[in-house]
Amino acid sequence: MTDVTDTNLHFHQELESLEHDVLSMVDRAEQMVEMAVEAVCIGDVALAAQVIKLDDDIDRIHLDVHGHWTKLMARFQPLGSDLRKMTVLLQLNQTFERMGDQCVNIAKVTRLNEGLPRVERMVEQIREMGDLVRPMIRTASEAYVRHDLEEARLLPDMDSPVDRLNANMYKEIVAVGSNPQMLEWASKILMVARALERIGDQAVDFAEQTAYLITGARTEFIKPGLNRSADDSPI
Amino acid sequence: MNHEQGDGLTTDIDTTSLESATETALAEEAIRVAKAAETVPRADQPLIFDVGKLTVYYGTFRAVKDVDMDIRQNQITALIGPSGCGKSTVLRCFNRMNDLIETARVEGKVEYHGVDLYGERVDPVEVRRRIGMVFQKPNPFPKSIYENIVYGPKIAGWKGNYDDLVEETLTKAALWDEVKDKLKESGMALSGGQQQRLCIARAIATSPDVVLMDEPCSSLDPIATLKIEELMLELKKDYTIVIVTHNMQQAARISDQTAFFSVRVDEQGQRTGYLVEYSQTDEIFTSPGQKLTEDYITGRFG
Repeated sequence: MTDVTDTNLHFHQELESLEHDVLSMVDRAEQMVEMAVEAVCIGDVALAAQVIKLDDDIDRIHLDVHGHWTKLMARFQPLGSDLRKMTVLLQLNQTFERMGDQCVNIAKVTRLNEGLPRVERMVEQIREMGDLVRPMIRTASEAYVRHDLEEARLLPDMDSPVDRLNANMYKEIVAVGSNPQMLEWASKILMVARALERIGDQAVDFAEQTAYLITGARTEFIKPGLNRSADDSPI
Repeated sequence: MNHEQGDGLTTDIDTTSLESATETALAEEAIRVAKAAETVPRADQPLIFDVGKLTVYYGTFRAVKDVDMDIRQNQITALIGPSGCGKSTVLRCFNRMNDLIETARVEGKVEYHGVDLYGERVDPVEVRRRIGMVFQKPNPFPKSIYENIVYGPKIAGWKGNYDDLVEETLTKAALWDEVKDKLKESGMALSGGQQQRLCIARAIATSPDVVLMDEPCSSLDPIATLKIEELMLELKKDYTIVIVTHNMQQAARISDQTAFFSVRVDEQGQRTGYLVEYSQTDEIFTSPGQKLTEDYITGRFG
């Protein structure tokens, strides 16, 4: 068979449009991570407010995608790779919306920590986590677009240092000592680390969805050493 | 009425040759299963039909070639594919309906409970009693509802309580409550969906163990279609069902296994149907193994 005619062209165009909308969320989320980490690290409340505003866009797209998705399922009842893509897009719609929420959580700490004394070593670790998490989102996104299974499989290894830095934050709290204001600041920064760790997990989930889309088999990527389940964190 | 199976199909059977044939068939089956373990659907269910290298000609026209497939007990097996892919031809081989077409010729193996369905001593009438068929358009006899049900058993010489048979059969076909007060009225007076359920009732009245359905819902509205689909899911507890359908969603909704057929065109321009993929329905509609299947179920077909 040489010439393949798409007898389902209308659906495939709609599916492409849905996919475009979902991927536009991850582009925004990546940008929001950068802005939120910057805002909290330098204490820029105005920048933090921009992050919160950007999340409104993600929330709007999230609702639009959900509505569009439901209509497509009702009208076309897709099968095969189309069905897999639909299930993946529904999952990613949720994942990216949560990424946005985590960025908002980070941004909100900026105002809460305003005027409190800082621990520079912890700020540097937050920056480092941000610098690790953003390439994870980018890599997962590129793996999806290119249908590159090998690239998707890179994510668990990329996530390991993020988990280590998050775990290390608890030790930093102990090192802060007994200054109540500094402790208050540090406890909020702990929330920031936790939010970045969750975003890292969400990027791994993104890659797992990509693997499912390509292979048709559901697999959970195993990370060396650490369990990335939500239950293993003290927060 | 009790089901009779196996050697009861033949009129005068040589038991020795049957045993030997069965052993050979079992050995062949074992090899085949070992070779293609991953592609044999629900191999744990008893084997009803064992089809190997099935090729059907109408005159010089080769309609379908080299079909290998198992049909397993109490399963719904759906045959799907584009027009001309041979799916209805294959279905008709399961109860020798192709015998009624003078130019039809069947090659290869079609074994039913280990017996060659096309063996010389096999009685085609008995075959069709055990392997009933429901067609695309409801075709009740122009007789009363009651007569539609008892017609087959009467011809088969069944001695029993016909009133009970009618009630039991129509109940199984989910039609009893709708027609119990008008059993003497013509079957032709029923709605399309009811007529089709009457035809299903007629097919199961002779206590078959297989019911073949050739696009049974294609002339019905969506509600009547859903009723037939619900009925099929009930009937599979007692029968083995093989259905040809053009409606992929229908195959996805009701079947346990799905066989996807396609058409190949040779250098002379002759079109021949063949089996592309046979797998669990859940797999075939979410992660088919063949690109051709994937293209077909996602609407990319040329």
